[in-house]
Amino acid sequence: MEGSTRTVAGQSHRLGSGGQIDRNAPLNFTFDGKTMTGFAGDTLASALVANGVRLVGRSFKYHRPRGILTAGPEEPNALVELRTGARREANTRATTAELYDGLVAQSQNRWPSLRNDLMSVNSLFSPIFVAGFYYKTFMWPAKFWEALYEPAIRRAAGLGKTAGIADPDHYDKAWAHCDVLVVGGGATGLAAALAAGRAGARVIICDDDSRLGGRLLSDGGEIDGIDALDWLQGAIAELSSLPNVRIMTRTAVFGVYDGGDFGVLERVNDHLPQPPEHQVRQRLWRISAKRSIVGAGAIERPIVFPGNDRPAVMMASAVRTYVNRFAALPGKRIALFVNNDDGWSTVDAIRRAGAEVAAVIDPRGKAAVGDYSGVRVVQGVVSDVGGGVDGVSSVTVNGAGGIQKIEADCLAMSGGWNPNLALSCFHRGKPAWRDDIAAFVPANAPTGMTMAGAANGDLSLGACLRTGHAAGAMAAAEAGAKGKAGNAAKASDEAFAIKPLWHVQVKGKAFVDFQHDVTASDVQLAQREGFESVEHLKRYTTLGMATDQGKTSNVTGLAIMADAVGRSIADTGTTVYRPPYAPVAIGALAGHNRDENFHATRLTPSHHWAAERGAVFVDTGLWKRAQWFPLPGETDWLQSVTREVLAVRNGVGFCDVSTLGKVDVRGADAGTFLDRVYINAFASLAVGKARYGLMLREDGIVMDDGTTSRLAEDHYLMTTTTAKAGPVMQHLEFCRQVLWPELDVQLSSATDQWAQFSIAGPRTRDLLQALVDPSEDMSNEGFPFMGVRTVKLRGGMDARLFRISFSGEMAFEIAVPARYGGAMARNLMIAGEPFGVTPYGTEALGVMRIEKGHVAGPELNGTTTAGDLGLGKMASKKKDFIGRVLSQREALTAPDRQVVVGIRPLDKARRLRSGAHIIPKGGIPGPETDQGYVTSVCFSPTQNQWLGLGLVSHGAERHGEIVKAHDPLRNETYDVELCSPVFYDPEGVRQRA
Amino acid sequence: MRIACPFCGARDSGEFTYLGDASPKRPAAPLDGGAAVEEQFYDYVYLRDNVAGFTREYWYHGGGCRSWLIAERSTTTHEFKSVAAAPGAGAAKTAQAGER
Amino acid sequence: MPDFLWNSQSPLEKAVIAGRHGAGKGTPGVSLSHVGDIALVQVMARRGRNADVAKAAKKLFGTETPAMLKVANGKSATLIWSGPDQFLAFSQQPRSAPSLEQMEEAFAGTASLSNQSDGRCLIRISGPSANDALAKLTSLDLHDSVFPVGAAATTSIDHTAVNFWREADDAGANPAYAMLVFTSFADTLWHLIVDSSLEYGVEVAAIGAGH
Repeated sequence: MEGSTRTVAGQSHRLGSGGQIDRNAPLNFTFDGKTMTGFAGDTLASALVANGVRLVGRSFKYHRPRGILTAGPEEPNALVELRTGARREANTRATTAELYDGLVAQSQNRWPSLRNDLMSVNSLFSPIFVAGFYYKTFMWPAKFWEALYEPAIRRAAGLGKTAGIADPDHYDKAWAHCDVLVVGGGATGLAAALAAGRAGARVIICDDDSRLGGRLLSDGGEIDGIDALDWLQGAIAELSSLPNVRIMTRTAVFGVYDGGDFGVLERVNDHLPQPPEHQVRQRLWRISAKRSIVGAGAIERPIVFPGNDRPAVMMASAVRTYVNRFAALPGKRIALFVNNDDGWSTVDAIRRAGAEVAAVIDPRGKAAVGDYSGVRVVQGVVSDVGGGVDGVSSVTVNGAGGIQKIEADCLAMSGGWNPNLALSCFHRGKPAWRDDIAAFVPANAPTGMTMAGAANGDLSLGACLRTGHAAGAMAAAEAGAKGKAGNAAKASDEAFAIKPLWHVQVKGKAFVDFQHDVTASDVQLAQREGFESVEHLKRYTTLGMATDQGKTSNVTGLAIMADAVGRSIADTGTTVYRPPYAPVAIGALAGHNRDENFHATRLTPSHHWAAERGAVFVDTGLWKRAQWFPLPGETDWLQSVTREVLAVRNGVGFCDVSTLGKVDVRGADAGTFLDRVYINAFASLAVGKARYGLMLREDGIVMDDGTTSRLAEDHYLMTTTTAKAGPVMQHLEFCRQVLWPELDVQLSSATDQWAQFSIAGPRTRDLLQALVDPSEDMSNEGFPFMGVRTVKLRGGMDARLFRISFSGEMAFEIAVPARYGGAMARNLMIAGEPFGVTPYGTEALGVMRIEKGHVAGPELNGTTTAGDLGLGKMASKKKDFIGRVLSQREALTAPDRQVVVGIRPLDKARRLRSGAHIIPKGGIPGPETDQGYVTSVCFSPTQNQWLGLGLVSHGAERHGEIVKAHDPLRNETYDVELCSPVFYDPEGVRQRA
Repeated sequence: MRIACPFCGARDSGEFTYLGDASPKRPAAPLDGGAAVEEQFYDYVYLRDNVAGFTREYWYHGGGCRSWLIAERSTTTHEFKSVAAAPGAGAAKTAQAGER
Repeated sequence: MPDFLWNSQSPLEKAVIAGRHGAGKGTPGVSLSHVGDIALVQVMARRGRNADVAKAAKKLFGTETPAMLKVANGKSATLIWSGPDQFLAFSQQPRSAPSLEQMEEAFAGTASLSNQSDGRCLIRISGPSANDALAKLTSLDLHDSVFPVGAAATTSIDHTAVNFWREADDAGANPAYAMLVFTSFADTLWHLIVDSSLEYGVEVAAIGAGH
């Protein structure tokens, strides 16, 4: 006999036949250490049901015993820790976790064991754990919160534990594009995808289940005169045969964003113990769709009555799923508590499985349309559920004939169906109320989105197929597909009559939100305390704020609130819907971008050479730059950096400066253009010369600086700081395209084209003499300070040579095409070998610029003017330039502005720290006495002490004054002298030598 | 979101950078302009209408063709009504200074 | 003094590891290659000189300048549209292509040139799963109907600007693409592309041995 209660060995509640599981593929798994067996095709939940397991977890607040409520992604109760070790994942819904051989699951939120949970004493004190409990109780004294209350509450509350170690699996992200995105692979989605696919549209159909079919897999039925499961096979075959249709199972659409972009999570390998080699666990998709059809179905809602959270109280539709799809019996004598006709269809499923229907309790008191002869019908409501941690033993019914107890081991309930309309509301759409189905339906979906089938309130199978087909055909046509959509599949329109019943108003703890332990009395209390708005209700009671986001509870909660306030549900309204619809792992959002791939990395042309020399690298923006080059025996960064600085000051060194932004500025008006961008003049710059330039923002604050050279009449090469290369390019394009389109200027980034090295120190010319062709005149007259030209190098290479200095030494910058960057570094070592050439890194570069008083990032910090940097005299008075007008504002020219000064501790052994505040001698640190702060510091080998630059009020007039540096972080205060920022070679003799 | 660059077609919004209101125009700045010009620049740099609805605003297709664009976008729905190139995008010959 | 050796070095010399990587043993899902020492010049028309640029291009390369979002195949170079009124002149055989000096002369006064031969790095990707791997990298829709052979785009991969175009299908009738990435980003993007391709099996050609 079909679906007999004859069970499978070891699986006390597995039917001997039927279902969509593979009895030839047994799978072993453990739950709380106990080994059990299920079959391929099971979820963890269905396997637990088949093994007769009722108690699956403990609730969040009261630690009440909980079982499996649903059979889908809306599950609030049956959350487990899946897997072990680094792959342990907390709060996994057992109802969506596919079973695999060796699966290990642990219950959560209990100690020491699920059966004997000490925290369940919370339940005894439940009168004090009411809505707003934390707000009311732990208000005072305030300092107890961090020290006492929060740690204690955190231990008691919460659900599963994270693995605590890095996730060993990989995730990635991908884009997909289509004409029509179909969300949901049930009857509606299949009909839509078939229509759109036949019409020739590019279709993607997603379903979060492992297979297409939706409720067809659970409820069956008849479509086009054949069994619905046979029709399903045909529909899948046809979709698979269409090259323009892409089927994505195990794929949840969690959000819709502007312009038809969807956030989608594909659980690629969650159904396996671990992903196969080279594969990801999950993939985050961004699907860009011209049109979308949401056939996401509906979610059955519980009824609120005392004991409705007892294990083995289950949604009626879930009972049908476990019986029909998984051949697993949630109970052997099942009572039904329903207020609608659809719930009655569960009777057929229970009977066909050979189990007993204890009674159907329906406040309407009559059977739905259909053959229900022999079923005991009780007009009334369930007022209590008897039983223990392991489930139901009886159901108490308040009915026309008084109170009676009905023996049952499972209670199936149905309070009606809520269309799954979240996607239609993510753009602030508000749903509308429909009395005939007692539910909210979509009212104003985002542009391009069509809601269809049960998600739109069309609950019958016939209507799902009809509306899905129509939506598919229309979407395809709107997206430009020209083909024919074919005919819609047909099925009957079964009756759906409902009499709303939200809450059985009797004494006892009746749960609305199972996952957050919110009861009907919590909702009523919130109302009494004035939290009537649904948004206040949500935050005060935490209704709908758990990981299930209230999929089974939100509408019921606000219906109870509406009743308490005495308003209609429509007038009470819903809270704002926000993505994600389903939980999305942070790993999936990060995708490839973690660890060393956190962001893209830029390498300099001499990177590999520097790495071979053992350079220590530092991240500067996206770049990796050599920070210093330690030699054998050096134990301390300062030792290496000091050696590098002295080598440059006394001999010669070189440093890769390719990271500086380089922009080719070309065109007939290039000079005029630069005159307007920089505060100083560039049109007058002679060909073959370089000049330091400073550019402002339009508000008068310094934007960037750098050296710009004129290579030809109509060709300048601008350099920017490393950090600002991108923003400056964007600014220049704005000037070119928006502000001054009449100028003939073309811009191109040349940063990556050139390998550029700074060669600095008194022996620089000696080194260059060895490197350049003997015909080149390298004398001070032949190649003066700020000169630029192309020179020939020995061995047949052209290089651009710029006589510019950042270090204050006699220096050049030499540039060759990037492919010769490694060769240049090696050749500089060879050419400089007789002079003790030393490669140096960014630290030594920084020390030398501070010794020389050159400003850099810490001073060009978005608050300083040209005047603050001591560069005010550079500003031309003969032309307009960006930022000129507003830089003359009173506040930006005030005499008390903080300007760049040198800072030198009086105690030569004292280490100066950047960030220290400058206060007058004798002043007490505080906002009133604060006169500025230290921006840059270094240990200066030439001065043999720590020194720095700072921004100090009236600084230019205070050279020689002794003030205090105050460092509240390190609790240090010490005397420093304000001085000229140029500590080294103030006359600038060396760089012009 | 995808933004229809007039040169590149519809592209992912991640390729674009938003700058702000495209209505203010950089004032002429004579060297002896004085307080009046400073006032005009103050308006140009700082003063913006806070519009609920469609605004004209600058976007930069920096992750693509590096064109500056002027888009009409609704601040309430993020709908783009139009996206046009800045007057000086590409090699267009523009006789007069400033925006068209 | 000794003469100095000036060996050119690819930014991918460490990254490219020739051979089969990732899943499977049969036909690789993705083929990757890199060719160094290319010639690449960015050509940007001067204001109002578009027509002159087209004429000069025709004379020099035997082809019109590329239409918007397209490549044009010239006799010694491929011209890749890279933005309004600008293109990249690309050649894999620098010796047979016009030199920078010849180009400067041909476009004198009509276009501004910027030598990018070392500023960009050429990466090619093809194969039956090339589109799947690229779906992880680019937000472009690479469907035949949207991005056919000869289509070009300036876009971003991992927030990094790239010039991307579709070349003729490979010998197995699979789509084939070329991209020019900024040299300093080449190493990081190469690793990203390889990682994205591993699940399909990827065959990496030795440097310079690509198609």
